[in-house]
Amino acid sequence: MSNSYNRAVKGIMYFILVIFAIIALYPLIFVLITSLKSPSEYVNNKLHFPEKITFANYYYVWVKGNMLKYFINSCILIPCGLVAYLFVCVSAGFAFGRLRFPFRFSIFLTVLFLMIFPQMLLSIQIFQICRTLHLVNNYFGLILVWVAYFAPFGTYIMTTYYATVPMEILESARLDGTNIWQILFYIMVPIAKPMIVIIVIIGFQSMWNELPFSLLLLQTEKLRTITQGIGMMQGQYGLDDTILTAAIVSAAFVPLLLFMFFQREITMGSYGGAVKG
Amino acid sequence: MKNEAIDSYILIAPLLLLLVVFILYPVIANVYLSFFKWKGMGRATFTGFDNYRTMMKDETFWVSIKNTLVLLLYIPMGVILPILISAFLREGLKGWPIFRAIIYLPNILGYVIIGMISSIVFRKLGPLNGGLTALGLGSITRDWLNKPDLALNALGLVYGVWMRLGFGCIFFLAAMSSIDESLYDAAKIDGALWWRTFWNVTIPSIHFSIEFWIVLSFIEILARAFPFIYTFTRGGPGFATFTLEYGIYNAGFVAFNMGYASTWASVLFVVCGIIAFFQVKLMRKNTDVQ
Repeated sequence: MSNSYNRAVKGIMYFILVIFAIIALYPLIFVLITSLKSPSEYVNNKLHFPEKITFANYYYVWVKGNMLKYFINSCILIPCGLVAYLFVCVSAGFAFGRLRFPFRFSIFLTVLFLMIFPQMLLSIQIFQICRTLHLVNNYFGLILVWVAYFAPFGTYIMTTYYATVPMEILESARLDGTNIWQILFYIMVPIAKPMIVIIVIIGFQSMWNELPFSLLLLQTEKLRTITQGIGMMQGQYGLDDTILTAAIVSAAFVPLLLFMFFQREITMGSYGGAVKG
Repeated sequence: MKNEAIDSYILIAPLLLLLVVFILYPVIANVYLSFFKWKGMGRATFTGFDNYRTMMKDETFWVSIKNTLVLLLYIPMGVILPILISAFLREGLKGWPIFRAIIYLPNILGYVIIGMISSIVFRKLGPLNGGLTALGLGSITRDWLNKPDLALNALGLVYGVWMRLGFGCIFFLAAMSSIDESLYDAAKIDGALWWRTFWNVTIPSIHFSIEFWIVLSFIEILARAFPFIYTFTRGGPGFATFTLEYGIYNAGFVAFNMGYASTWASVLFVVCGIIAFFQVKLMRKNTDVQ
């Protein structure tokens, strides 16, 4: 029985996998083909490939709309945010993972504890703080808030990594009389490169896709990020679905490209810190 | 060794400073503000428990609680499906990495984009109804996002199950990769059927990851759903897809009733505090940082 049984089991598995792959992929393909249709064609032809491919929707969002501006904004904002994020996560992760100091473990647990609170819960107070500090409509303010919100997870990943680094590396460096910043930049950063790639990708995804804080802190239209820009297009009256889909594709292509090149790191990072059994 | 302590505090100072200003302080000040009436401008007036009394009589609040509970009912499905699919994937069928990549794809795009795509898919004149009609199932087409119950369940299905499926597969595949292969070999010698092996070997070996995933699911639904709901239904129809998070947004930044919004936020704070407790407990088990 075992042979035919095995074949039957495999067949069922394939069948289920194919169904779920279709459910995952179809909406994305639908969005892509819709963005290439004219609004009048979309009314009659919802599901099939466009009879006549048009780039008018893309022309509309990139040239007539503000997509280009939003895109540039994101491209300025996110690299700056990532540098700050990286600095905070790596230095804190190194300290928590490898150094010994009073209250280390309780502080670390507090950091983990603070990770959970939803953005909306914090938003009312964050808005007041930023208003007091003149950080509304100011990229610097958004970067600080983003780093504060996303760094605990990055720190957690870096901490679990540095905890596995052999003690000797640190001790031999200490004997040479180097200071802590030299140890950080010349020893700890280079050895953690693979993990740093992972947290950069996680940080990039978090910032690229972030909505609530940008919604709150960037209130001038010309400052908006790309995700915020398309998020606010949603629900605007008189905007054709074909145009919306072109906007969606425009915002999605960067993360998708990233996925094509860094699939291994992204999948590794998504279970960051590797949960054991 | 004293140096090491000073160095350490310098290294963690940026993180702590940011956390105190932008997370710890907001969480505490929030509870404080919930006892005031404040429109976001001018002076706040102390009103004691007035906000809480208003909230208890607020229909939206109870609907939000009910909605959250309905969404939480999707957790079992959101746990079982990724485990099953990862168990299929780990059999090493031909082309399995492609399936893994495709199923993971929606996770790349983030809440906002997926929310927008979903809202187009579920439109009355959208592709879902179009597809059903094309398949001759015209009778089950609905105006999904304009019927309160349908909209809420669509939210649960898309956000609670579909969107996180790929992440779940990666997560559980990683957990399964550390299972000792000899356990499977032993099961094979015993002639155990696939289902039996799955139940007796795979599941017990990954129970820690399952616990972790359940906690993560609670967090996603209670504390991360806002951007998705904002783009998917805007809390509508009416307030049929409100959650506590969405209610805070609505009270605070639509009605500009900051004090009242803080009252909702305080309830959410208590709920999140309980979940954070479990999360930290599990993360602590998982790290060698002690």
